[in-house]
Amino acid sequence: MHRKQSAFAVVTVAVVVVAAFAAAETTRKEMHFKVGHRASVSIVNQYGPISVKPGPGKQVVVTAILYSSRVEIDQNKSGNRISVFSHLLEGADGDTGRVDYEVLVPADASVTLHSTTGPLHVERVHGDVILEGSTAVVDVRDVSAGHVHIKTLNGAVTLTNVSDGHVEITSVSGDVVLNAVNGSLVHVSSSSGKIHYDGDFGDAGDYSLTSHSGDIEAIAPSYASIEVVARSVQGKVENDFPLQPEHTSFAAKAGSAFAGTMGKAASSVKLLSFSGKIHLKKR
Amino acid sequence: MTCEEFERGLPELGSGHSIEQEEHLKSCSACSDLVADLNAISQQARFLKGSEEPSPWVWNSIEVALRQEGLIRQLHEESSRTPAPLLSWKLRWLVPVAAALLVALGVLLHQRGMGPVHLAEQAPPVGAVTAALQPNEMAHEDLQLLNTVAQRMPSMRAAYEANLQAVNAYIRDAEQSANSDPNDEVAQQYLRNAYEQKAMVYEMALDRSLP
Amino acid sequence: MTDAKKQQGDKLSEAAAIERAKQGDAEAFEALYNLHKRRVYSLCLRMTANTAAAEDLTQEAFLQLFRKIGTFRGESAFSTWLHRMAVNVVLMQLRKKGLPVVPLEETMESEEEAPRKEPGAEDPRLAGSVDRMQLQKSIAALPPGYRMIFLLHDVEGYEHNEIAEMVGCSIGNSKSQLHKARMKLREFLKTSRAEKAGKP
Repeated sequence: MHRKQSAFAVVTVAVVVVAAFAAAETTRKEMHFKVGHRASVSIVNQYGPISVKPGPGKQVVVTAILYSSRVEIDQNKSGNRISVFSHLLEGADGDTGRVDYEVLVPADASVTLHSTTGPLHVERVHGDVILEGSTAVVDVRDVSAGHVHIKTLNGAVTLTNVSDGHVEITSVSGDVVLNAVNGSLVHVSSSSGKIHYDGDFGDAGDYSLTSHSGDIEAIAPSYASIEVVARSVQGKVENDFPLQPEHTSFAAKAGSAFAGTMGKAASSVKLLSFSGKIHLKKR
Repeated sequence: MTCEEFERGLPELGSGHSIEQEEHLKSCSACSDLVADLNAISQQARFLKGSEEPSPWVWNSIEVALRQEGLIRQLHEESSRTPAPLLSWKLRWLVPVAAALLVALGVLLHQRGMGPVHLAEQAPPVGAVTAALQPNEMAHEDLQLLNTVAQRMPSMRAAYEANLQAVNAYIRDAEQSANSDPNDEVAQQYLRNAYEQKAMVYEMALDRSLP
Repeated sequence: MTDAKKQQGDKLSEAAAIERAKQGDAEAFEALYNLHKRRVYSLCLRMTANTAAAEDLTQEAFLQLFRKIGTFRGESAFSTWLHRMAVNVVLMQLRKKGLPVVPLEETMESEEEAPRKEPGAEDPRLAGSVDRMQLQKSIAALPPGYRMIFLLHDVEGYEHNEIAEMVGCSIGNSKSQLHKARMKLREFLKTSRAEKAGKP
């Protein structure tokens, strides 16, 4: 009896190990592309993370780890434009169709990433950054002089130290966090996701943070130079700053709306939520 | 003919000279040199036509804008993938709906330009159907979208359903707010944002529904 | 797969691309863009002498075109339609900046601005050896009004009646300003040549 149980255990373990090896058909691929000034790199990957960082020289290096033989990588180079696509074969799902990408690009490259699951990470580039992910968590940091466009359904979005460009973020229910984000245009639109901004509202920009039910919290320094309008139809609105009042097209009811200027009112700031809370805080 | 008279007539010359001008050119090296110089400049200028190339990001920016405005309505095709005709037929239902949402947005923006009084008189846009539904009910087009998502990405159906409910609630509230005060610019902005969010959900579902 | 896709894109004719673009085909838009981008961008660059501004204007011209592509019925050549749109975009930009777009009428123009050839004065020749790089620099130095007419006529090949309609001046004015632009360029080129010759 004891011998039979031991044999059964050994066979079971062996089956598990063989199955594990069979499932782990991971393949590593590396692709190199020579590019010129202001290259454009596009990666479409339904399942799996994509990370983009600056690399040396005028080349794009794409390292991909494929999790099974049910996914292939298609690549195309047309002049200065690189596109890489994870091509799912019959029967592929979120596990077998997964590809992990690490991409090195010249710092002046523009980057376009599409993923359902993500996460998506881009750092230290100066070109445009265009990211789209359904549930993908998005993280962008240290990007300057490029336009940043991000769309997610419920993936959380975090931007850190992004400046000198346009920023447009649309997320239905993902929370959006902006730390040290300045530019001539910063627009964030959410339905139920929260929006958190911690920065200077600098660059004489046009800042608009709007949501349906997500709370909006904006933290600014006492020296911020802004013309601000804040309003929530059904939510509470608070303000820590002494503002110079100004005329608005709606009645600035205490507790649900305020409007005014600080400093030279260089930047325009709109904080609008239908039913979420709004709080303009002093740092 | 003097040199001054000759030069005064130069702008009207085009490609030919009059007999008087021809005679003057034969006898005046200065004017002859002038005409040769001006012709050389004009001829060299032709080589400048279309000689510069914009950087690739220009097209990227254009493409982003076209997608956001719903002008790009077809997907990137993968020729090695087996086509799914039935799914393509179903997708064709949904693409015009996404475009219709953006058209409705455009109608609303146009109405705003006409003046707030007209807003109440216009036929309600596509999203108004949403307003008429109960909070948990879904419009036919939304259900079609979810069915398509479920067929191709079963794991994503729940996420799309939750997000559609969120944007539908946004549209309902925004429409009520805009209807109650057509002069309220902020209410108009809520409505614009709500429609844009819904159009984005459709766009993302259609882009991602084919692996 | 991708090579076949590329070949397919290359072979897409303009007419086919226009029809497919009307249906919202992304590849068709891109094909139209690639067919015409150099000409539009070159015009914008020469008018603004600024790469970033030229790229923005190029983007705007194509976006305006693509938004209206559904209304294109082939009454004129597509390239003409696009180019006129690009010119309009550039003109609007110049007007926004308050720069003169419509060339000054002859009667209003100061005598000092118009380049003159003194009769009998020594006048070294340029002919046959106009340096393209110098010409580009000289074009950039032209006043905007002269530059626009010169680019549209001598570089882009528009006729005076077309230029007059685009820019909003008379045909006579267009001819006159073109002549003055060429004279000014001649002056710049000779000065530049003389400076180079004078250098040790």
